[in-house]
This record gives sequence, C-alpha cells and structure tokens, in this order.
Amino acid sequence: MPIAQLTSVDYAVMAVYFAVVLGIGWALRRMMRTSTDFFLSGRSLPPWVTGLAFLSANLGAQEVIGMGASGAKYGIATSHFYWVGAIPAMVFVGLFMMPFYYGSRARSVPEYLKLRFDEKTRTLNAVSFAAMTVFSSGVSMYAMGKLLNLLLGWDFDTSVLAAAGVVLAYVLLGGLTSAIYNEVLQFFMIVFGFAPLVWIGLRSVGGWDGLTARLTEAAAARGLPAGAYTHAWQGLGSPATNPIGVEWFGLVMGLGFVLSFGYWCTDFLVVQRAMAADSMTAARRTPLIAAVPKMFFPFLVILPGMIALVLGADAGADGAAGAGQGIIPPKFDAGGAPLLDAGGRVVLDYDLATPMMLVRLFPSGMLGLGLTALIASFMSGMAGNVTAFNTVWTYDIYQAHIRRGASDAHYLWMGRAATVGGILLSVAAAYVASAFNNIMDFLQLVFAFVNAPLFATFALGMFWRRTTGHGAFWGLVSGTLAAALHHGLTLAVGAVPGVKGGYFGVLHRYPSELAQTFWTAIAAFLTCLAVTTLVSLATRPRAEAELAGLVYSLTPRPRDEVRSWAQRPAAFAAVVLALTLALNFVFF
Amino acid sequence: MSGAAGLDVRYPIGGLFVVLGLILAGYGVATGNDAGLYARSSGVNVNLWWGAVMLAFGLVMAFLAARSQGGTAHPAESTPEGRATEAREHDAGLEREGRGGR
Repeated sequence: MPIAQLTSVDYAVMAVYFAVVLGIGWALRRMMRTSTDFFLSGRSLPPWVTGLAFLSANLGAQEVIGMGASGAKYGIATSHFYWVGAIPAMVFVGLFMMPFYYGSRARSVPEYLKLRFDEKTRTLNAVSFAAMTVFSSGVSMYAMGKLLNLLLGWDFDTSVLAAAGVVLAYVLLGGLTSAIYNEVLQFFMIVFGFAPLVWIGLRSVGGWDGLTARLTEAAAARGLPAGAYTHAWQGLGSPATNPIGVEWFGLVMGLGFVLSFGYWCTDFLVVQRAMAADSMTAARRTPLIAAVPKMFFPFLVILPGMIALVLGADAGADGAAGAGQGIIPPKFDAGGAPLLDAGGRVVLDYDLATPMMLVRLFPSGMLGLGLTALIASFMSGMAGNVTAFNTVWTYDIYQAHIRRGASDAHYLWMGRAATVGGILLSVAAAYVASAFNNIMDFLQLVFAFVNAPLFATFALGMFWRRTTGHGAFWGLVSGTLAAALHHGLTLAVGAVPGVKGGYFGVLHRYPSELAQTFWTAIAAFLTCLAVTTLVSLATRPRAEAELAGLVYSLTPRPRDEVRSWAQRPAAFAAVVLALTLALNFVFF
Repeated sequence: MSGAAGLDVRYPIGGLFVVLGLILAGYGVATGNDAGLYARSSGVNVNLWWGAVMLAFGLVMAFLAARSQGGTAHPAESTPEGRATEAREHDAGLEREGRGGR
C-alpha cells in the first residue's frame, strides 16, 4: 500500500524534468571529439558551472536523505558535517591543492599519484576508487528503488532500470560536460524542491521558536540538556550532553580534519569537476564557489529532518503511539512488529524523515516537484560516480596496465564502453544490496578503512618533497590496516560485535558509533603519517627536478590574472571562512 | 567552437524552470479554492506561490543567457594557463589527436 498517490500534474512535472535531462545529452552529442572532451569537458567550463557541479556531484541520496536522517537524530549539530567538515576542506583544496591537480598534467587524482610517487601507489588508489564508485552508485540505485516502492508503490526493477537508462543515455551522449550540466540542473532542482519544504515545515511548527520549544521537549525525553537539538557546540564538552555522543576533540580532529579533508581534497569524484575548469584560477575557485551554497545547505537538508521529529507531536491522534517521533515511522522486523532497542524504545527509520515530510506537507503539484528533486539527487549521485569511474578505469587502469599507446579515438571508445560497464556493474551492485544487506555494510566498512589514511598521503606528497613512492604505498596500506585493527578492537555502547566492530575483542567502548568512526579515522591518519615518514626517510628520494609542479616548495606560486576580490581565490576564501565562523557562532 | 562551447547551460535551466513554474502556478490558480488540498501545507497555496518564484527564476536565467554571447564555456586554449596545460599533455603524448585544425 503506497503512502502517497500521484496525480497527472505530478507526472507532468517529472516528465518535463526528464525531457530536459535527456535533451542536454542530445544537444551535446556532437561535441565529444577527443577523450579530453569526454573525460575533462575539454577543460572549458566556467567556475560557477564547475562549482555547482562540484557541490552537486556529492549531493546524492547520502546528502539529502542521510542529512535529513541525521537532522532528526542529532539536531542542528549535524551542521558540523558542513561548518567544521566540508567548508574548511573545500577552502584548503581550492587554495593549496588545486595548483597541483590542475597544474600538473594529471587527468585524474590517481594519475597525480603516479606522477608524484609511482605506479603501485596509483594502481592501489585507482582500483579501490573504481570499486568504490561502482558500489556507491549501486547503493544509491538500491536506495532509490526501495524508497520509490515504499512511497509510490513503483516496481523496484522498473525504477532502478529506468534511472540507470536515463543516466546511461546522457553520459554516453555528452560525456562529462553532460554530467556536469545535469548536475547544475539537479542542484537547482534540489534547491527549489526542498526550500519550500523548509518554508511550509517551519510554518507548520510555529517558526524557529516553535521548533526550538518542541525540540526542547524531545531532548528532555531522551535525557539530554534543553538546547541539545538546537545548539551545535554547547553540549560538546562531554559525549553525554549531546545527541551525537562525541566530545569536541574527536569531532574536530576526526570529522573536521581527517575525514573531511580526506574526502573533499582527494576524492576524484569532486576533484574531477574542478579539473574541467577553463583555467587555473577557475579550477581554484571551483571549490570556493561551491562552499558558498554548501554553508547554507544545513538549512535545506537538515531542518526537514528536525521538523519531522516534532511535526504532529501535539496532534493527539497519533500522539499516544508516536510521542517523540513526529512523523518518522518505526523500523519493522520481518514479522511486521516495530523493532525495539535494548532499552525497549522503538527504533525509528530515520531515513524516511525527509521523504515523509514531502508526502505530508506537499499537495499534488509540489509533491511531483519534491519527488523529482529527490530522484534528481539519486541520479546525480549515480552520474557523478559513473563519470569518475569511466575516467579512472580508462586512464589509470586500462591505459596504464592493459593497453598503452593506443590512439585517442580508442580511449574515447573505451570511455564510452566503461560508461556502459560502470552502469551495468552499478545495477548489479544494487541487486546485490537488495539480496545481501550485510555484504554492503561490510564493503562500506572496507572502503571507509581505505579512505581514512588518504589525506596523510596527499598532504605529505604535496608539502614534503622528501616523501617517496615506497613511503606513500606502505603508509596507505598500514593506515588501512590500522583502521581495521582499531575498528576491530572497539565497539560503540549498545552495539554487538560484528560489522559494527569488536571482531578482534573489545578493548574500548565508545559512547556512540560516530565517535568510533571518528577515532578510527584518526588512528588510520596518524599511522599513515608515521609510516609514510619513516619509510620515506629510509628510501631514496626522487630528484628534485622531477618534482617541479608536483610539490609545494618546488612549484612557482600561482599568479592570478584577475583583479576584483571575488575573483581572487585567497580573498574569496577569507570571506567564506569568516561567514562559516559566523554561522558557528549563531548556532553555538 | 569546440568542447562545450556550443550550449549555454543557462538556457536549459531557464527553460525547465519557466515550464515547471507555469505548470505549478497554473495548477495553483485552478485549485485556488480547494482548501482541502492546501490544508497539509498549512493553508498556503504553495503551488501558486512557488510556481511564480520558479517562473521568475527561469526568466532571469534565460535573460542572463541571452545577454551574454558565446555560451558559458570556452576552451582551455583561450587562456595562457590552459594552453600550457594542453601543450604539456600534447608533448607527453597523452592526447594523441588534437582537435580539428591543430
């Protein structure tokens, strides 16, 4: 029994959107002549386009659904993922790392590792990255199929195959340009689809003051201080006084430094968008321009989750069963009874917080727009992964190991074939996810281990000329192992040993899963840093002449050709950081 | 023109939002008296108002695209840094076939 019924006006909105999406691919089909056109948009896009795509490539289901779920779970403190996590890292990659990505002749992040270090470091990164993109795109499709089935009663197979078909069509026709143009379109769809949700949602709960008052009750029901859901920093002195269950040091180091810098500064999925820019200045401005809307995204994606937690709480009708859960439905076990946690409380299906808001608050018409925005976010995640996959496969695996020195036309053909292959593998991954949920949890864990040490490798490589290829490779391997070891020896309170950790025995218990995640990342980062340094000192460094353009101290500072402050990366970055700091104080 | 220069992305964005704005605002006008429909959105005719906002945004995008000529994109060869990057690629044999005329 579907939760929502669509009418013809909703279908009309969806149809128009899909027509434009496919139309963009069609209009760009004649412009893909060389592999650089296909993989890097011929390095011809202006910074506002690459900036919005930089943001949108990451704006998959993880962001919209996941941040709504976190908003319902943790309240405004979820904004740490933005104001402590993403923004400083985006500023750093724009100011300090983009000169090496764009300025070296690298066409992908793994290729930078090849130029800076050696083939084995590149291959390690390329293979794990390629596997990860296929897997995340599959998980995105699976989540979409499941959600559309639940909300609208649509057939899982049809939803997954239709979405895959649309993404395949526009990437195949127009390459990275088509993916980027569609990401810009998706960015606006998501903003226009979710902004009214926040508007109507806040109106329904009596504005920010009404929301604060109701969340105070919700916090009290969970034994937290009054402002726990509406203040980002106040309860961070101790894990017991904030809903995240983490103290400030673990949050700032683990999330703010290791995880966010590791993702935003080294993940080719986002860096590829900046590499498509038309000049060095534009490439450096790409993440900085993306940071401006990014800092306001908490209001768009976190607030709906917070509102969902308290909406209808005083309605009476479902008040008895649903006190403190708003419109968020519980999770059900196989027999159809609500799941209970160890304390006898109902376990909520937080991932449904934002979708339920759409269904509850939007009338026909707007409902079509909101659902289209949701589908756009799923497809954006999928297309971002597929375009990153086809590039890394073609340049870093196929050209490097399978067939060197072929013609550009051959690699262009390979890129198209890899697009088809990547989508087929994603669909396969979506079905694996639907059949074996545990395998996906396990893979997600492995990828988290692989990613955790990455930033140490890049930071040492770019800023310490003495770093060697052997150092980088063994640092990455040992960092990954350290993450697995740390995770295997610790457990969050209330979790059982298994995929949540503790499989080697439990030496330490963290107050929450996120605290465990943050400290796992910190352990991986420090291990990688130490091992890379030691192995580098013990091995022979490369000649400095070979490292020009790849290492900070051996590269001329980029000189910006433009005059106004908004076009100068450093000045723009200062404004972005000042605004982010101000937001932290407003919601302290 | 090569690369993405042939299509200004602001046209499809503008077009999409003009059409969506018209659909939603039109539907909002048609259902303006249906209080039952808008009870869930706390009494706001959100189709009409948000449709109008989207229509305005679409028109601004289309206007910006029409005002600037030559599209949003220009090839890397048109800047000194871009030329340097492409030249390095060419020298290293990473890009085998140049564009037509090179």
